[in-house]
Amino acid sequence: MRALIFAIIFIFSTSPFSLSSVISDIDKSNIELSTRFDGTSILVFGAISPENDSTSLLIEIIGPSTSVNIRKKVQIWGIWINKKIAHFQDIPSFYQISISNPEHPILKKIENKKLKSLFYDFLEINSTPKDDNVVEQYYDELTRLKKKLGKLSAFEEQINIINKKLFSHKVNLPNKIHPGLYKIKITLIDQQGTELSKSEQSVKVSKVGIQEFLSYNSENNPVFYGLFSVIIALFLGFSAAQLFRWLYR
Amino acid sequence: MQIFLPIADVPVDLFVLLILGAAVGFLSGVFGIGGGFLMTPLLILLGIPAAVAVATEANQIAASSFSGVLAHLKRRSVDFKMGNILVVGGLLGSAVGVEVFRIIKSYGQIELFVSLCYILFLGSIGTLMFLESLSTIQKSRKSENTFKQKKKHNWIHGLPFKTKFKSSNLYISAIPPVIIGFIIGILASIMGVGGGFILIPAMIYILGMPTKVVIGTSLYQIMFITAFTTFMHATQNKTVDLLLALILIVGGVLGAQLGARVTVKLKAEEIRILLAIIVLLVCLKLALDLMITPNDLFSITYGNGS
Repeated sequence: MRALIFAIIFIFSTSPFSLSSVISDIDKSNIELSTRFDGTSILVFGAISPENDSTSLLIEIIGPSTSVNIRKKVQIWGIWINKKIAHFQDIPSFYQISISNPEHPILKKIENKKLKSLFYDFLEINSTPKDDNVVEQYYDELTRLKKKLGKLSAFEEQINIINKKLFSHKVNLPNKIHPGLYKIKITLIDQQGTELSKSEQSVKVSKVGIQEFLSYNSENNPVFYGLFSVIIALFLGFSAAQLFRWLYR
Repeated sequence: MQIFLPIADVPVDLFVLLILGAAVGFLSGVFGIGGGFLMTPLLILLGIPAAVAVATEANQIAASSFSGVLAHLKRRSVDFKMGNILVVGGLLGSAVGVEVFRIIKSYGQIELFVSLCYILFLGSIGTLMFLESLSTIQKSRKSENTFKQKKKHNWIHGLPFKTKFKSSNLYISAIPPVIIGFIIGILASIMGVGGGFILIPAMIYILGMPTKVVIGTSLYQIMFITAFTTFMHATQNKTVDLLLALILIVGGVLGAQLGARVTVKLKAEEIRILLAIIVLLVCLKLALDLMITPNDLFSITYGNGS
């Protein structure tokens, strides 16, 4: 990886670019979710050109889509009961956006636009008619809960820029993440938010080993899985009986 | 050491689970109980989804009861005919229970349902045990323990479909065992318990079975019912976490062996009071969790269900 960084420095220091451009790479293209998985991080790095102060770098990580329900607890007869109040169809299970320049003039606008196109446009609510205040509340709750779970962050992490040329950014993934393809978008923008250049990477997150075997079969071969669970349990019960009979002979 | 459970979809500490399995196993060794009625709520309190806790605990009980049945087969203390009739009722009960479970789950209220069942259940059992032990302690100070067993003619003998149970030395209708089996099947499937604490008194007091075959026969039924319940939950609800079951089985086996061999310095009634207190505490915790205003009113779930 170090060799690659040097190569990048070399390319960028020798060849003058007329257009704004960005190149990037990541430190891993596969993440394995084993039973021991306890969160990980992805290092995104690369170089930008030209080096000037008017451009900013955006890095987005977009996880595979899932549907999300928002539930609210309501009190009935003294008991708190969960009630489903809203549903978001196919929204990213993980999303992080970071910028190299936190002082960017239209930061808030970018954030709102991104969240709207990725999350808020997919809201389906039970109650009609749609009350704007209620809708606003669901957006806020989705954002707050996702942030709490470490699955959404907007401009909370800063991108490291070295010599106005090289950048590196560490993305932390929590221990509970959805398997699938994680897209990484690196975009160079100007002061108005116009896209100048972009580069894309992806990381494949997949379950492995016991994790993969059990969750795949539970979902896709339930009859086999059910029989398998019973047989394993009976076998262990039998073994335990034999073992202790032998031990206390 | 943290591990990620594939079906429960939560990270848990392996040692906490092993210790929990061993502790409940130890209690079952000391008290001669199955332990499902303690393990399932404890798993829920640990953060395992209720649906997974119930189905997985059924799988664990299948292992521990099979291990127990083997010992009773050697001693010939299983009434197979009675066992099989109980199993027939149990299979029906389990199938019905799993279907009810699936419907409530589709409404997104399975956590609440299981919690309410447990509060009701642990509350009444804990209170009964507590009161009974108290009165036994008081009685034992006065006189010897007098245990009366109702035998011979009661309403059971008026029912049709009478049949002979050789090992139990009984000639009674097949209807009561089917009904008792059915109830046990329902309990196993919606609460993840073996149901021995109901089955055993029912066998003694309602069916009038001799005590020497009661434990073996109840284990025989429980093994079939929990195995079937595991299979049904796996196919209907996809909530059996085999990894979790394996950890609990290992912990439980070790704990139970230890519990059965340790000489407890306490009197039987004192131990029972202790168990009653544990049961009531778990019940209280579940009830408080439902009643205390939650820190966060909102939560998210994944998927297209509720």
